[in-house]
Amino acid sequence: MSKTALVVDDSPTMRQMVALTLTNAGFKVVEAQHGKDAVAKVAGGPKMDIVVTDLNMPEMDGISLIKELRKMASFKFTPILMLTTESAADKKQAGKEAGATGWIVKPFNPELLLNVIAKVLPA
Amino acid sequence: MSNDFAQFQETFFEEAGDHLAVVEEGLLALEQHPEDLDLLNKIFRSAHSIKGTSGMFGFNAVAQFTHKMETLLDLLRNGQKVVTPHIADLLLKSTDCLKLLIDAAKTGSAVDDKTVHRLTSELAAASDTKVKAEAKVEKENRSSSSTALASTATFLIAWTPPEWLFQRGLDPLQIFKELADLGTVSQVTVDTTKLPELAAMDPEKCYLSWTMKFETAKDRQVVDAVFEFVREDSVLSITEEVKGKELGVRGEERPSPLTPDGLEGEPKPLGEILVETGVVSRETLDHALAQQKRVGEILIEQHAVTPQQIEQALQKQKQQGSTAQSKKSETTSIRVDTDKIDKLINLVGELVITQSMLSELGVRFEMSQMPVLLERMAQLEHNTREIQERVMGIRMLPIGTAFSRFPRLVRDLSAKAGKKIQLVLSGEETELDKTVIESIGDPLTHLVRNSADHGLEAPEERLDNNKPELGTIRLNAFHAGGSICVTVEDDGRGLDRDKILAKAIKQGLVSEHEKLSDDQIWPLIFKPGFSTAEKVTDVSGRGVGMDVVKRNIEGLGGAITIKTALGKGTIFTLKLPLTLAIIEGMTVRVGKETYIVPLLSILESIQPKAGAMKTVVGRGELIDVRNTYLPMMRLYDVFSLQPEFTDPAKAILLILETEGEQVAVMVDEILGQQQVVIKSMEQNFRKVDGIAGATILGDGTVGFILDVRGLIEMSRRIVPVAA
Amino acid sequence: MATAMPETATKELNQQIGLATDGSQFLTFQLGDELYGVDILRVQELKGYTTVTKIPNTPSYIKGVMNLRGTIVPIVELRTTFGMATIDYTILSVIVVVVVRDRIMGLVVDSVSDVLNISQEDIQAPPEFGTKVDVSFLNGIAKCGDKLVALLNIDRLLSENEMQKVMTVTA
Repeated sequence: MSKTALVVDDSPTMRQMVALTLTNAGFKVVEAQHGKDAVAKVAGGPKMDIVVTDLNMPEMDGISLIKELRKMASFKFTPILMLTTESAADKKQAGKEAGATGWIVKPFNPELLLNVIAKVLPA
Repeated sequence: MSNDFAQFQETFFEEAGDHLAVVEEGLLALEQHPEDLDLLNKIFRSAHSIKGTSGMFGFNAVAQFTHKMETLLDLLRNGQKVVTPHIADLLLKSTDCLKLLIDAAKTGSAVDDKTVHRLTSELAAASDTKVKAEAKVEKENRSSSSTALASTATFLIAWTPPEWLFQRGLDPLQIFKELADLGTVSQVTVDTTKLPELAAMDPEKCYLSWTMKFETAKDRQVVDAVFEFVREDSVLSITEEVKGKELGVRGEERPSPLTPDGLEGEPKPLGEILVETGVVSRETLDHALAQQKRVGEILIEQHAVTPQQIEQALQKQKQQGSTAQSKKSETTSIRVDTDKIDKLINLVGELVITQSMLSELGVRFEMSQMPVLLERMAQLEHNTREIQERVMGIRMLPIGTAFSRFPRLVRDLSAKAGKKIQLVLSGEETELDKTVIESIGDPLTHLVRNSADHGLEAPEERLDNNKPELGTIRLNAFHAGGSICVTVEDDGRGLDRDKILAKAIKQGLVSEHEKLSDDQIWPLIFKPGFSTAEKVTDVSGRGVGMDVVKRNIEGLGGAITIKTALGKGTIFTLKLPLTLAIIEGMTVRVGKETYIVPLLSILESIQPKAGAMKTVVGRGELIDVRNTYLPMMRLYDVFSLQPEFTDPAKAILLILETEGEQVAVMVDEILGQQQVVIKSMEQNFRKVDGIAGATILGDGTVGFILDVRGLIEMSRRIVPVAA
Repeated sequence: MATAMPETATKELNQQIGLATDGSQFLTFQLGDELYGVDILRVQELKGYTTVTKIPNTPSYIKGVMNLRGTIVPIVELRTTFGMATIDYTILSVIVVVVVRDRIMGLVVDSVSDVLNISQEDIQAPPEFGTKVDVSFLNGIAKCGDKLVALLNIDRLLSENEMQKVMTVTA
């Protein structure tokens, strides 16, 4: 059975790039435009094997999304990666405190993205 | 950049365009409401998106510049800086510059480095970067001193993860697996001393810690990267076993590939740092940079290559550059709301159902089922028409995208002209074909400039005339029948009949004795070379423009009209087709041939009385239409066809108008009115005189759409021969 | 090697079984009693003769345009182009749809015959006489069994005169 991934980014370009990379790697991808959209899409719905989310988004930002997801039983231990341009310690720290598993710093290439995912994805 | 993200570049440029619009619009609004935090957040998000995504494609110039803007925006948003007119202006100028940089990334066009440089340092100055700059120098020193070693090394690793490890979706097993992939893990010990009694144990917590020996050919930073996500929260020590050989100087904390610290962390050019830290001035640096030699020159000097080799390589570089460029500008794409696509999919679903019902009916059809058949056919027609409309709708965009440039334009114009101008937009949501929207940008810009420059009076003049000091330019878009109307309205001085007439006479456009109605006078301003501006400004009034505006609008199959009142203002109305792909046409017959006449150009159709036709020597045939003589054209003559009627009294005359000229075109019969999809003749053949394009008629054959303008020109050419 | 089949025999065999040798494949068609060939790689499809809409003020060998699945395709009448007498086209007449420099065009011919393999060495330079066609429109003449095939250079053919305009005006 193929793995599932939730990709959250308000930038369609970024979202499609991540989604396509994951699709090509055999994931079934659910896309969401921002935190609220993501929560709506997974609430009571399918369990995801991995979540990749942007941080700066309208409606609900990435940090709040991570907090929301961690409250849900089905996302308690799901690896959540944040996409970030900020190396600023506060962002990373806030993400970690919210429960983010790890981060990927833009710009990245497909290979790096998949490597980082492989790093956190439960076997 | 050679990864498979390249295919998303087109998407990126479109998205970047949207973000730029948001930033610009936001900044303009911010000038009015400097304290609006939502606005700032919105602007920041867009800038941030451009930065992040442009980096993905290796558009570093874009990314670095946006980063500068973002830094300032962030300070504004955090309240560390306040929005001053200077900052707003700087950000607007930077947005313009960013636009150019993005264009440059897209098309390879050149960007003025000086402007980029100047704005970069202005942005930096506005963001007060002193503290940051020092930190950067330190970082640079550290990372540049690190060196890599290739031979295997053995590390002693002691790791005590935080208790809450699992709650972040992390698993120690993952880490060990990754280590095992990179080298050999041995002598692993697990410390279970912290493990509580079973009853007291929280299964979601991690109580264990480990020590191990790890042998790998990889670099230290790769080993560090394994612990990337946990390092800061763990007690972790990774020490290299010394094997009696020199280790070299290795950076302690070199950022791993996963955290190149965004753009901030990217090593800056040395010169930039020197300037930022005040060691040298910008001028000194620029001077030094100007003396820098190119790689090629240095290589030649060192006799590493011959000048010819360099020449060839440069040639190649140039070629690659230019082919890449021409390739890039080819594709255009359109973004469509998922909603629109979903509706379309539903409709196609319905179509399939209707089709299968019909074919089932066809298999065993009896005459008694005729009503059912007719009903299904009607359903099919309904489905098809709706699909056609929706598919056309895909090309439709709100006209707001064409309006969005005007707030900025009007702001700049009012500053330049020293006038107070407010811009009022309405009807932005009116949808129009993408191509039409792209084509009306320039004509609209010209009209708005015209209104700001010529239409609106100077503040003193307005006050003298009991008008509010603040002039208004209104842009509005709305549906009118099968067309879209866009109006550009100002409450300025209005067109001056006498001035226009005087000028037209002076230029020989009309004779002194001609009696002209207002409606005949206003269009004179669209004549080539006509300009009423008393003095030429750099904004408009260069004598080109209004005629181009008119030509562009008519080129789109539209029309432009003027309404004006002296001292009150002027309204320009553009009437535009909804789409360029479909036109409303009247089908007419000449002999055995069927032609389509664009409905927009038909004023009326008449059956002339016998004797209404006059022949003027040298000027061909004229027809009397309610006491006005119009030139008459026999379509069969122009197209060399065998007509049914050669007597105008038996035939039909269509009175057509284009660009203010009227002509009566003679055809045998009017067949009906229908929407036709325009097909290109040029794709496989060439432009044919008098024909604007082709279409597929109901019976599957090709029909031609008449080009009214072209016909008029043709009739002029053949008239002397016929007369 | 001594027992190898004579070269010509191999070629004939290949031709019979439709195998391409070192030559190329040509679609051959009839105009009156003459046989012409076009490089098969240039042929997009064959279409039965359908109604063609005449284009005003174009020379007679531009028969008009037809609707090919929604695309407007000009039709060239080869008989007129070659100065042969025109005939009334029937349902047996065929439009050979060819691609010339990214443009799609149709050629009306009397009927389509065969696809032939013709090797380079069987192609001779076009003679100065013996065909009704201006030799500059020919790539050569090939003998195929008892048949003589005039191989058309369609780039050349369709870029002369009027078609030249077609190519340059909108290129």
